[in-house]
Amino acid sequence: MILAKSKGCSKAMNAPRAAVIDGRAIAAKLRAEVAAEAKELVAAGWKPSLMSISVGDAAAAEIYVRNQRKQAESTGVSYESRNYPAEISLEQLVGVIQGLNADPNVNGIIIQRPLPPHIPVKALQKAVHPLKDVEGMHPASIGNIVYNDLALGPCTAVASVEILKSLPLKMEGLDVTVIGHSEIVGKPIAFLLMGLGATVTVCHHMTRSVAMHSRAADAVFVAVGKPGLVTGDMLKPGAALIDIGINRIETPDGPRTVGDADFDSCAEVAGWITPVPGGVGPVTVATLMKNAVLATRMQMDHYRESYTIPAE
Amino acid sequence: MTAEIIDGKAFAAKVREKVAVHVARLKADHDIQPGLAVVLVGEDPASQVYVRSKGKMTTEVGMNSYEHKLDVGTSEADLLALITQLNNDPSVHGILVQLPLPDHLNEDLVINSIDPAKDVDGFHISNVGLLATGQKSMVPCTPLGCLMMLRNHHGSLSGLDAVVIGRSNIVGKPMAALLLGDSCTVTIAHSRTKDLPDVVRRADIVVAAVGRAEMVPGDWIKKGATVIDVGINRIDAPERGEGKTRLVGDVDFATASQVAGAITPVPGGVGPMTIACLLANTVTACSRANGLVEPEGLTV
Repeated sequence: MILAKSKGCSKAMNAPRAAVIDGRAIAAKLRAEVAAEAKELVAAGWKPSLMSISVGDAAAAEIYVRNQRKQAESTGVSYESRNYPAEISLEQLVGVIQGLNADPNVNGIIIQRPLPPHIPVKALQKAVHPLKDVEGMHPASIGNIVYNDLALGPCTAVASVEILKSLPLKMEGLDVTVIGHSEIVGKPIAFLLMGLGATVTVCHHMTRSVAMHSRAADAVFVAVGKPGLVTGDMLKPGAALIDIGINRIETPDGPRTVGDADFDSCAEVAGWITPVPGGVGPVTVATLMKNAVLATRMQMDHYRESYTIPAE
Repeated sequence: MTAEIIDGKAFAAKVREKVAVHVARLKADHDIQPGLAVVLVGEDPASQVYVRSKGKMTTEVGMNSYEHKLDVGTSEADLLALITQLNNDPSVHGILVQLPLPDHLNEDLVINSIDPAKDVDGFHISNVGLLATGQKSMVPCTPLGCLMMLRNHHGSLSGLDAVVIGRSNIVGKPMAALLLGDSCTVTIAHSRTKDLPDVVRRADIVVAAVGRAEMVPGDWIKKGATVIDVGINRIDAPERGEGKTRLVGDVDFATASQVAGAITPVPGGVGPMTIACLLANTVTACSRANGLVEPEGLTV
């Protein structure tokens, strides 16, 4: 477990009860593991390499690309980005991806959003070879998670679960409530946790009483996109709260980024809480790098299995 | 209070009737005859019985049934070649490989070589992922049957608290995904769950799929809840004479039926729905393959 230093709260009585989970520190530890793994792969002749694809306005994805490139370079993963004109057809793009699938110098393919309206993101995600699916978005990647074959998973979901796993809690039998049942976050989190032996309840906008379920939980994940959705009175004292929301709000002091939890009231009740920013976010990008080395190793193993001639 | 008994046999017959109507319409309007190919490797007696009864029901609803019986020693390459041939055959809309396969054959590899669009068992890894994330897929037959019975009983399931007991790949997990798709608040409980009675007591819908005879007693069930019992367990029945056995579910029917609002019996509940849903999946796959509207009420 890695925790942030106390935020200089002078009055002990007002000090939040919760330990604030330091996502940046967890990410740094993860990156160190990735760097070690990347070094081994390089020594075996398999330098991990990522290819980023963006379509149309390159500026829209630029902030993600820059951040990913920085993290890739710091962990020994090569990173290349390509931008295609907004007029490109879906068929041409699928062709590009098929080319990358066959290219031994590319181990992972990232599809940057936003895409132009005539390019459905799912069609591209499905075109990526499952062994190169570092974003964990191919249906087969999700299917593997459902079947407890923890290969490449969607980065945000995997990162959120990794944060919970870093706490001194036994996963088997842990009561967990997941608020939000989106395709790429809530649902994969539920299946990942189920595989770890937790008892999972999934709540969403049709749930009659989210509080009833969240109050029964040892850990709560929230990924809805509504600031202030989870308040302290919705938590069991001592519970872990993993806040995946990222919302821009206006305050008298200017715009701020907040999560889906009301941090102050939750911190008074929870045992552990992730801040926004600085919680799940940094771990997500580190998980992409982790997936890059995982994918590279899977491809190396696959290659060796397929092309090694058995000894007589 | 005594629960309404959900008659799976009668409901399955209705589903097959709907399938037959749709098959007739496909023939009349589009000159298309749906076809289901069943592949059986070896001579497992139980599998032979299943395959025979699947074939019979397939032809009864007016679809083509193609049976491929292969020798127990069939090589993986030969089996994969047959599947490729069926994948490419436009008159085959559904492919089912009867499990279990003999030990020398890799089940995952074989199942994942089926075209996902023809995977009427819903076991292809891509279908698993699509269903888990709420996208259009082929849905495993048993959980689909449970969902149909629940929809039929409740109308809308939206907002109901559902508990699935058991996290198996073929029932528990897809069932949870289907209930989420219908906007239930879903809890998946299993052998590691801390306070199972308490978790089950919160539920408006209980789906039991663990394979342990009568493990869920009536006092775990909330008054008026709907109970779907997927378990099929054979237990000793000395009251029927020496050496006799009988089938029971995962739920203690005698006590649960005093509390529940509705309950499926064992046998005669979920069981008969499975083959009916296999036929439903085949006609769904056929409609999709031809770019036609999916049959209403036969898929999610």
